[in-house]
Amino acid sequence: MKRRTWILSALGATGALVVGWGVMPARSRLGTPDNMLATQDEVALNGWIKIAKDGAVVLAMPRSEMGQGVHTALSMLVAEELDVPLTQVRLEQAGPDAIYGNVVMFLGSLPFHPLDSEGGAKPTSVKAGEWIVGKLGRELGIIATGGSSSVSDGWEPLRMAAATARASLVGAAAAQWKVPASEITMQLGKLQHASGKSGHYGEFARAGAGTSPGTVAPKERKDWKLIGTSAPRTDLVGKTNGSATFGLDVRLPEMLFAAVRLSPMLGGSAASLDTKAALALPGVQQVVALDALHGSSAGFAVVAKTTWHARQGAQAVTAQWQQRAQGGLDTQHIAAALQSQLDKESGFTFFEQGDIAAAEKSGSKVIEASYTAPYLAHATMEPMNCTAQVKDGKVEIWAPTQIPSSARAAAAKAAGVDAEKVVVHVTLLGGGFGRRLEVDFIAQAVKVAMATGGKPVQLSWSREEDMGHDFYRPMHAARLKATLDAQGQVQSLRIKSAGDAIAPRWMERAVPLLAGPVDMPDKTTSEGLFDLPYGFKHQHMAHVATTMGVPVGFWRSVGHSHNAFFSESFIDELAGATQTDPLEFRRSLLQGAPRYLAVLNLAAEQAKWGSALPAGHARGIALHESFGSIVAEVAEVSVQDGMVRVHRVVCAIDCGTVVNPGIVAQQMESAVVFGLSAALWGKIDIVAGVVQQNNFTNYPMLQLAQAPVVETHIVSSTRKPGGVGEPGLPPLAPAVSNALFALSGKRLRSLPLVTQASTSTST
Amino acid sequence: MRALLTREAPMDLTINGKAVHADAQADMPLLWVLRDQLHLTGTKFGCGVAACGACTVHVDGQALRSCVTPASALVGKDIRTIESLGSAEQPHALQLAWIAEQVPQCGYCQSGMLMAAAALLERKAHPSDADIDAAMTNICRCGTYQRVRAAIHRAAGTPQIATAQAAPLASKAAAVTV
Repeated sequence: MKRRTWILSALGATGALVVGWGVMPARSRLGTPDNMLATQDEVALNGWIKIAKDGAVVLAMPRSEMGQGVHTALSMLVAEELDVPLTQVRLEQAGPDAIYGNVVMFLGSLPFHPLDSEGGAKPTSVKAGEWIVGKLGRELGIIATGGSSSVSDGWEPLRMAAATARASLVGAAAAQWKVPASEITMQLGKLQHASGKSGHYGEFARAGAGTSPGTVAPKERKDWKLIGTSAPRTDLVGKTNGSATFGLDVRLPEMLFAAVRLSPMLGGSAASLDTKAALALPGVQQVVALDALHGSSAGFAVVAKTTWHARQGAQAVTAQWQQRAQGGLDTQHIAAALQSQLDKESGFTFFEQGDIAAAEKSGSKVIEASYTAPYLAHATMEPMNCTAQVKDGKVEIWAPTQIPSSARAAAAKAAGVDAEKVVVHVTLLGGGFGRRLEVDFIAQAVKVAMATGGKPVQLSWSREEDMGHDFYRPMHAARLKATLDAQGQVQSLRIKSAGDAIAPRWMERAVPLLAGPVDMPDKTTSEGLFDLPYGFKHQHMAHVATTMGVPVGFWRSVGHSHNAFFSESFIDELAGATQTDPLEFRRSLLQGAPRYLAVLNLAAEQAKWGSALPAGHARGIALHESFGSIVAEVAEVSVQDGMVRVHRVVCAIDCGTVVNPGIVAQQMESAVVFGLSAALWGKIDIVAGVVQQNNFTNYPMLQLAQAPVVETHIVSSTRKPGGVGEPGLPPLAPAVSNALFALSGKRLRSLPLVTQASTSTST
Repeated sequence: MRALLTREAPMDLTINGKAVHADAQADMPLLWVLRDQLHLTGTKFGCGVAACGACTVHVDGQALRSCVTPASALVGKDIRTIESLGSAEQPHALQLAWIAEQVPQCGYCQSGMLMAAAALLERKAHPSDADIDAAMTNICRCGTYQRVRAAIHRAAGTPQIATAQAAPLASKAAAVTV
């Protein structure tokens, strides 16, 4: 296998840093008590754990809850080590310190083939890449939630922090009771000794803070009581009685509301604004012009006494909009340009194996196909918003953000102050899906708050603004080519894809520190194509990175979301070409990937692959690895009177060690429904710079009546935890499409699967 | 006409059983009176065109999408929001079922889901799957739908279906290009 040494040479740019680090131990993520908020009634034992007077455990929470259950899962790690009921873990938002940075999210950007890490020892190139990026991640300490990484990133540091706190508490009790520490047990929040002595943690917190924990190790797997159970989520009461606070629910004294209107032409701006009529409306106070900020289009915000007054005002402004200097964007032109780039360019090789040229020359039969996927919007239920107050040189923001580190930096830049002057309050997120890794709406809120004389202002986007000014999943196209040998066996697979890279554009907007002068090859463009588990002898996967100009961003499961559709549909085509059952065909190619095979088999078995179905129904299967987890899905579909219906989706997942199987099942259900809306109907069209879809009426979503039954089966594993929020999505579109092929004999090679003209809704 | 609409007028509303005084223009939707004037933020904004149901409240016991309904049209009517669906001491059967089935994920759409479900149960104590399909047209991006269905059945004491095989074809599902 060819070593992908380019990443190392790319990182050579930071060589000087690396030399300096080489002699330093990896930065500890345990932190110190002063990383946490000092209060009267709580004692911090390290940077993650405080013990409250009443014995409750307070956990510093750096990850954003956007539905994926991370507040519950991370609390479980700590409750396990400290032997407290889950409900006795309270959350405190983590501060900005580097110990809270997400290291695993950045490790996920390394373009290594997952099979490299399947066996025993990892190749040197993988180890070196992980070492450098791991170190970089710890030094930068970027606090972010994304890449299905929260549990795998928190797995070691949180358990270590809680185990350290545990050791200090036990040590303090041992000293006070004058008994050996080894004789003290912890149960349900209490320290106990056989002599009858007992006390809750709050009684030993102060003494514990002064007690060295000694050498600490987390509990052994066999001693787990909580990890691995479907503990109820801790965030549901507020989410069933209206009291949960999302970004839009922040209410502050004297708060004003602002509505945003941006150039309807992406990247455009206002040549002139006539605000007279708007300012004459009741409740409207002022109009603030907005430059293009962190990748957004330019426009303006109207400040008023309620959101509704502000939106009325925004509509009353007469704006002369102008296109971006490079001219208006058009998705039809972009689709054609991708094909012509595929004709002309060879792209960057992400993976090669064997001798593809020779294999193609000697092959006796060639199978080729061309696939495409459209731009997509995130359409979080809670539209973009941020509340900000700028007063006395200080900035305070309340934001539903996936990346507080960048939000803080963006707020500081917008206000022209140092980051130390900015306080970020992270609210609950009404969905994220990658959209809230952007900071355009943060900077807008701060800019507006600078004009309101110190009064706080809640800036929010209408649904139309949200859909029309997203950072879209990029349009991609791929050409796949396989050759069969004389015996009719597939001997080679070549994939060339084209589409915009996300990571370099995102870094420019959200983490400029990481943005380089030239684009590095971006793993997200080719993930799901270059990293297949199938044992084709000769492989070649390349990507042509384009710059079409449409703002593109991370969309739940990113490159995998469309690339799995390309690769797993084509695998089905190859099964057909070799007259093999799709399940059997995959099995025959997975001899070198036993974990993948086990997941595939589990899904097939649970779905009763091959058994009889009602007339007019058919099954399709797909298998895909992403974010450290392997998922197989079997979809059962029918088409009646021209209507596609997905009845049931059986999922099997190997996500390593499972913290909460109930949450894993929730995330599989979520990914299936999210993926199905996109697979059937999702499509963003741009004409003369203007996004044509603007609300759920023409960017339709699956509703309850159309939702399939989703079953989840989990492979038992003792590996480190993998991701859960995203991996269920990539196999969905190909499983459905493969089922439709089984039903109709027609292969669908473009997303969405259902024609746009017939998706008009009638709610 | 424009002047009439833009003039603010005092109005007396009955919200969650209490008389509430609001100053609003005749065309101001109830949603914004609730959220931005009365700070009852449990009712959510999602689309502004009555397409997603996040803003669902009860008016005289019926589910209503408050983002397109002027508050002025509701004077004298009994307006109920998520904040009055049960209490901490006495949760609504649906709230208990929602937790038992672990329905919410991000939770943003769930106020509207619960209010739509509560109106359904008021109307039909033992809804069938077809009743649930027809009544629950709220959009959830986290895909909590099958748990919403299960929770409604749980609260109503009606049997859960094993699969969606029996569910009627969705009227909105569109033609495939075959």
